[in-house]
Parts: sequence; structure tokens; C-alpha cells
Amino acid sequence: MQFDAIVVGSGITGGWAAKELTQAGLKVLMIERGREIVHGEYETEMKTPWEMPFRGRGDAAQYVREYQVQMKNRHFNEFTQGHFVNDKDNPYATAPETDFTWFRSYQLGGRSLTWGRQSYRWSDYDFGANKRDGHGTDWPIRYADLAPWYDKVEEFIGVSGAAEGLPQLPDGKFQPPMALNVVEQHVRKVVADKYGRCVTVGRVANMTEAKPDEGRSACQNRSICARGCSFGAYFSTQSSTLPAAKATGNLTVVTDAIVEAVDYDPRTKRVTGVRYVNTRDGTRGSATARLVFLNAGAFNSVHLLLNSRSEAMPTGLANSSGVLGTQIMDHANTLSTIALFPQFGDRTTFGNRPTGAIIARYRNMDTMDGVGHTRGFSFQGGALQSNWGAGKREAGIGAELKDKLHQPGMWRFVLVAFADCVPRDSNRLTLDKVRTDRFGIPQLHVEFAFGKEEQAALAQAKADAAEMMTAAGGNVIMGLDQPGPGGTAIHEMGGARMGLDPKTSVLNKWSQAHDIPNLFVTDGAQMASSACQNPSLTYMALTARACDAAVKMLREGSI
Amino acid sequence: MPQSAKRGWNRREFVSASALVAVALGLPAAAVSLTRLESADAPSDRQRLLMEDVSQLVIPRSATAGAGEVGAGDFAILALAHGLDGSRTPLKDQTAYARFTRNDGSIRHVAWLEKELDTRAGGDFLKAPAEARFALLKALDAEAFASRESESPWKAIKGLILTGYYTSEVGGSQELRYEPVPGRFDPDLPLTPDFRAISNDWTAVDFG
Repeated sequence: MQFDAIVVGSGITGGWAAKELTQAGLKVLMIERGREIVHGEYETEMKTPWEMPFRGRGDAAQYVREYQVQMKNRHFNEFTQGHFVNDKDNPYATAPETDFTWFRSYQLGGRSLTWGRQSYRWSDYDFGANKRDGHGTDWPIRYADLAPWYDKVEEFIGVSGAAEGLPQLPDGKFQPPMALNVVEQHVRKVVADKYGRCVTVGRVANMTEAKPDEGRSACQNRSICARGCSFGAYFSTQSSTLPAAKATGNLTVVTDAIVEAVDYDPRTKRVTGVRYVNTRDGTRGSATARLVFLNAGAFNSVHLLLNSRSEAMPTGLANSSGVLGTQIMDHANTLSTIALFPQFGDRTTFGNRPTGAIIARYRNMDTMDGVGHTRGFSFQGGALQSNWGAGKREAGIGAELKDKLHQPGMWRFVLVAFADCVPRDSNRLTLDKVRTDRFGIPQLHVEFAFGKEEQAALAQAKADAAEMMTAAGGNVIMGLDQPGPGGTAIHEMGGARMGLDPKTSVLNKWSQAHDIPNLFVTDGAQMASSACQNPSLTYMALTARACDAAVKMLREGSI
Repeated sequence: MPQSAKRGWNRREFVSASALVAVALGLPAAAVSLTRLESADAPSDRQRLLMEDVSQLVIPRSATAGAGEVGAGDFAILALAHGLDGSRTPLKDQTAYARFTRNDGSIRHVAWLEKELDTRAGGDFLKAPAEARFALLKALDAEAFASRESESPWKAIKGLILTGYYTSEVGGSQELRYEPVPGRFDPDLPLTPDFRAISNDWTAVDFG
């Protein structure tokens, strides 16, 4: 098979690469390791709990056997389990002191089907962070380089959100925002008045306005997104980029095929294509192209580069710097506070809003006011009421209990902090020296720990969160300051960072390998720092920008 | 004053944080150490009758059917054997329920309940009059929930009876409201006495 471009992976960035490259007229092969999932044919989407064998909660016994990691994902349940990997069949290795939960979705659409859909721009506080405090290496780009690409991506995927005029969280091309609920509105006012901080509704790739030309409806406020949405109301490969790419007539999709290596020709110093394993029958295949885009997800793209080592590149493809696999990151996150707001007991809401409230970063911007850390943290959460589950926690049976559970219960405000994760050499991916998967491919080996910077940020976050909740009249009942294991934010990134210097980075400012001009890595692997806001929107903008650059270079004959 | 403010909520609401803590720390919300199911978990006919009766005592018939009538007892039996809500987690105190523990350290809830209720009834619990059965179960319930630390197997049994009821068609869509396609979000409504809770408020189901 001969193509103009091969895109490895069909998730959030793979879909974008396929769309941009096919729309530029290139013949593209998109290759996906998982099974095909067809938009509108989501098996459990319309099921009620009483139609499910375990009422939507799932078979905990099976989960222990087969989904030991994935079961820890808040979106994982009986309705959605088909959109997550079976851990038993898809092992990875960790260093002795490492506890890393790697949440994965191997299927057409990848994690675009299961993502949290929070969509935030990064600012120059983020792109300038490494230069300012000396951790990691400087980004070769700044916000201005990416701003037009953010515009393009937001308009296409559909992001609802409120413009707030914050330099640390730049406004975008938003659809109308979803509403803060009554308790969140109150907290927003108090936090703005007393602290000058911004509580706003989560900017989310769930549309509040339909895109009829693309067959996408506005969000129905079901909040069951990870089952798949036949309304096409949230951004996924299936709802958005795949139909656009297919419409060009230039796209070939191959599913159930794991790319095990990218082939490199040392004479031309170019990659020539990919080799893959058919997961259904174990047979091997290959395809060639003038351009290769890696969009397998941060860790899997790094894995592929490491596994593509050759005589010419014995430590991994495009690894003349020796930094491939290092400086991996994930946001340190924890439950900073829960506060009760009984004074709102006579208010309630209707509908399942598929986003929460956030508090934008406010530390270490123009004043370095972080205690023991030099970066930022932000909060995600919101106010919610209990329902029948509250009955599990308290004494009471009979008519009295039934009567009580007939109505919504106590309001509480929850704030989960996400702290910037400093890039470190010691947090790294390698190929496991012994263990392989069922196809004989070396397992990915993860070595990861948070450090004192993240600990300090979460300690300050806990104190700040309690103070803000108390000021708003909340009764703080608990809070944590220790991060969960790496991976719990599901924002794993880095490992093939972008940088100015080919000696200390893998990719240049166009997400293009310093060593190999026709190789691009445009997923989370390219990130040189982590910021404290969700990264997917930035991956998409970087992908669109890289595609544009690659097509120009191809036309100019420079690659 | 809203009703919720009158409740002694502090300790109880703290416990409710467990699902959120689990997410924040990457712990499974339903931590279990189950390796395999054992045939001994198959219930006897009497145990099924008992669980049906107990379910009906927990959620009785009102304008809508009760939990026993909609099969919450059978669901709880299945769920307990499969470790839902952490019900196959080994107990900290392995001696207290030694007669009913499995090799993995978890407890056979239904067998325990059968014995416990018969003991409290001074004979066959199922043959006691309705008022007496209710009073016995209410006392057991009050003891179990008197402290957060209590490892009483009743906590898990009751919890899964409630799951069985409120995720049944009757409990989920007649007693409460089931709104598969709300179509809108109303951020601020008065909570009037006629407002029925939404059984599929997923945020509440997960974290409430």
C-alpha cells in the first residue's frame, strides 16, 4: 500500500491529522490498533440501568480480573467498559516504586470517545514556564504562534464556554456557555469579590448550538458522553473529524492493526512507512508513504519511536538527542475540598450538564506567590446534590427512608486541583527489557513520580480551596493534599518534546522530528511542559498547524 | 430552614466523599480482592425469600411497588457475590464474622444475615409478624450505622438493595424520575414538595 501520508492512531489528534491532510489533497492511510466503532451504533447509548446485567455498575469481579487499571477511571462503568482496554490483554510494566494508572481506549476514535471534553487554551504563562523557572527546556513557540490554530479548532469541534478576559486562560471562539448552577453562581460572586479569582463554567467540547451541515446536534444534557453520542453533540473523531476526512475521498482507514515500527532509510534519512500486526490473526503487513504522522497517544507514540530502533538509530527513531522517552508528565491532582452548602436546600436543578465549574489559575502569574512551587494550579469541580445513593450511608429503613430518598439531598461543592507537573529526566518511558505483549512487542516500561513542586502546589491548593469555600459560607468537611498516582489526570504527555535545540529535544517547532524531516509527532508526546489546564485542545491546534506546515514543505519539495 | 440543615450531617456526609476520594487518588471505588466466584455463593430458596422480604422492609410499597416486589433481593445476592460496592473487600476484623468469611477474607453477607435475623427473632425470622420483622431489622440497621468504623455486613446489603431498587424500572422511573434525554439544563429551580429526584442524575449517582 502506497500513500502520501500515514497517520498512526485515530483519536483526538489522529482524526485531526487525517482531516487536515486529506483536505489538503493528500492520500492518507489512518491506521488504528483497535476495532471499528461506527458513529450512531453505540451499543449501550440508549440502555436503561434495568436493561444491564449489573444495572450499569458493572461486574466488579470481572473488573478485578480484566480491568484492574481502567476500573479506576471515573468514566468507566458497565455502559462504557467496551470503550476501554482490557488490561489483561494490554499489559505495561512499571518501575518498582512507580504507581502509574494508564487509561486507554483502543478503538476507532480512541480516547476521543471517552475524554472529559474540557477544552482550554494555553497561555504564555505556560509556553514561557520552562524558560522562566529553568525546569525542562524552552518551548520553541508562544501563544501567538498557536492562536489562529486554536480559533480554527474551536470553531470546527464546537466549544461552549464563557469569555472571561483572563490572560492565563485566553478566550476562544466559543459557542454560548452552559450555565453555572445556583450554588456555583453564588460561589463565583464571592470568589470574584473577595479574591479577584474567576469561577467559570467548564469550557467543554459539548455544543450548545447545532451544526446541522455536519449532522451534529446541540447537547441534550444527558451526560453519558463516554457511551458514545449519536447526536454528535460532543467532539469525537466519529462525530467530527472522521466524516470530514472521509468526505474528501482521500482517506483509507485500517483498524485492528498495531503499528509496531516506523521504517527508516538511512540513505535518504527519511522514514518510508510503517509495519503493522493484524490483531485478529497475527499476520504482518506494511504500508509506505512520503509523510508519517504519529498520533498514537503520547505514550504509545514514544513507544513506537523506541521500538523503531535500527542499526542507524540504535536507541530509537529520531533520538539523536538521547532524550526520547524522558520528561513525561501528568497533572498532579487531588480532591482539595468538599464543602457543604445546606443553605441552598430549597433549590435544585434539572438536566445533566456535561461539565462542571472551574477556578482558573491565579498563582505564580505576574507575582511569584506560590509557596514552594513556581507554577500554577487550577480547580475543576462544581456543586452537586446527592440522590438515592445517600440512603446507603445512613440509618433508616421503611416508609420514612423511601420518602426521604424521593427528593434530591444535600448540596456540596467539590474542588479537584490540577497542578502543573514539572518535566524531569527521571520520569521516563523505556522498552521493557524482558516483558512483551501477545505479539512479541516489548512492553512499555513507565518510571514516574511526582516531586516536591507538585506536593507544594497541592498543599497550597488545599488551603486556598478551604478558604474560598468558607468565605462563600460553605462548611468544609474534608480535603486532601497528596496527589494520586501518575496517570489519574489522564493527561499523560511528553517523551518526545518540542524544543529549539536538536541536542536536547526530539521535535522542532513544527512538531517535526529534528532528525527526520518527513516524520511528525503531534499528540501529547510533543509537550515540553504540562501547564495546569487540560491539554487536548492544544494537541489539536498543534496538529492542525503541523499538517499545514508539512503540506507546505511537501509542496516546496523540502521533504 | 431547609430540611437538610436540620439533619446531623457532618459525619455522614464525610463518608459520602469516598467515591470522590477514590477518583482523586486513583483507587477503585469498588475495591475488591476477588479472584474467583465460589459455588457456595449460590443462594438457597430460603435465602432468596429472606432477601426479598428484607428488601421489602427496607423499601416498602407506597404509591409505588417496594424493593422486594421488584427483585432487589435477587439483585443484591448477585451483586454481593460479585463484589459490587466493595462487598468482596476483606474485613479488617477477621474474627468478628469468622463463621461467614471466605478464603479471600470477604464475608458471605446473605448467610450472615440469615443467621443474624433468625437469632434476633429467636427462631424463624420469616415466620415472625410483620411489625416484629420490621422492628428487628430497624434495630440491626441502627446498630450497623451507629459508627463509621462498623464493618457490619448489613451496610453493604442495604446499599445494594437500594441500588437494586433505584436502578429497577419501578424504582428508577416510577418512584423517581428517569430522564434519558433532558434536552436542557435548568440551573436554579425551587425544590418544591412535588419535585421527584432524578434517578439518572449521574453526578449524584457517582459522587452524591
